Amino acid sequence: MNFFKSVWQEFKSCPIGAIAKWQDARFLWLVMAGASIFLILVAHTLFQHYVYMKPCEQCVYIRFAFLCMAIGGLVAAIDPKNIALKIIGYVFGFWGIIQGIIYSNKLNLIHHAAHSDNPFGVQGCSAEPRFPFGLPMDTWAPDWFKPTGDCGFDSPIVPDGTVLSGLQQFLVDFYADGWYLFPASHSVNMAQACLFAYIVCFILLGAMFASWIVKLIKTK
Amino acid sequence: MGFKLPRSLAKGLALSLLVATASFGFTEGTDYVKLEKPIANADKTLIKVFSYDCPFCYKYEKAVTPVIVPKLPEGVTFRPFHLKTKGKYGETASQLLATLLIKDQDNGIKSVFDEHSQFKKAKMAYYNAYHDKKERWDAGADAFLETGLKASGLSKAEFDTAKEDPRVKALLAEWDQSYEVAKIQGVPAFVVNGKYLIKTASITSPDSMVELIKELLTK
Repeated sequence: MNFFKSVWQEFKSCPIGAIAKWQDARFLWLVMAGASIFLILVAHTLFQHYVYMKPCEQCVYIRFAFLCMAIGGLVAAIDPKNIALKIIGYVFGFWGIIQGIIYSNKLNLIHHAAHSDNPFGVQGCSAEPRFPFGLPMDTWAPDWFKPTGDCGFDSPIVPDGTVLSGLQQFLVDFYADGWYLFPASHSVNMAQACLFAYIVCFILLGAMFASWIVKLIKTK
Repeated sequence: MGFKLPRSLAKGLALSLLVATASFGFTEGTDYVKLEKPIANADKTLIKVFSYDCPFCYKYEKAVTPVIVPKLPEGVTFRPFHLKTKGKYGETASQLLATLLIKDQDNGIKSVFDEHSQFKKAKMAYYNAYHDKKERWDAGADAFLETGLKASGLSKAEFDTAKEDPRVKALLAEWDQSYEVAKIQGVPAFVVNGKYLIKTASITSPDSMVELIKELLTK
């Protein structure tokens, strides 16, 4: 309790100085890497394998964006005081977030077009996935990065003859119309939830970066 | 004085740009792209590259294609090309659909939207099963084939002989050009005269799509 109090005191007395100090430590970088890895694992292990919700094209790009953030976080966490490692961390982090925002936004447009009678105004899915820099992620790790789901749809498709456990059956029914934060009202789809996550990351990483720059200028 | 010339030049340029955009509402790159490898023998056609396992193809099938095709100018043929590389049973679907298209021709059915078209029956059966009923034919290719055969009223024996028809094989060979087109921006892909691929993202309504097709037909 006292620890949190002192952290809060430190933040209150000088927010920029406090954040600048924290981004010199491992903790925040590990949080970024951990959260990104956690989301990829949930998508792959829980939704794709356990609940049979196959990933669409934009969905695997979103995983890739989180992977970039995870790499950035881990590299910076090796030694956050090292300027080179820290810059790598920021570059990977921001780049992943920006890519993620673009992918999520596109997925949201596709989702709406696919769930309405007006398919105009968006590009559907490509014949083959194209990752940044031509990285063949889908051949390196097909189970993670090959799009196997339908464009704009993520409802569970259970293979014939599969015996589901009670919990699996519950989740399959729960997400029968696709993934929503609130499935009953079909509100906040996967794309919007991801967009929200990226925006939160952008604000946090942006604050870290800005505080660091301010501190650098001040100490000069 | 020295400023006058650039200014009038700029004015002239702006004016001509305005005139240009007003007369040609569509631009290469945003509304359509020119295929590097055109589809052969496709003069006066609108080709739709599609796949049974593509949700947007089904959307277009329901809301767009039947609306725009009757509005095409006289003498323009609508030709569906099934993409065999997409979907677990893409090859089987192509074989059956090509066979049925030739059957339709033999039966004197001119439109793929005709209610008696066996091609249409099988195609819609696949769309319905895959997208509405979430059928994935885990039992294998025979189960997949069965869905299309049953809908079109063709027997397995009839299909096995009919698919050997050289016209079916020629059609399938034509359809093999689909992949190069699909690679560019996915499916459904609409190609005018075998040369111009419509960028579906820039279309806003069936009417604007018809306008674009009409313009590309005259190019």
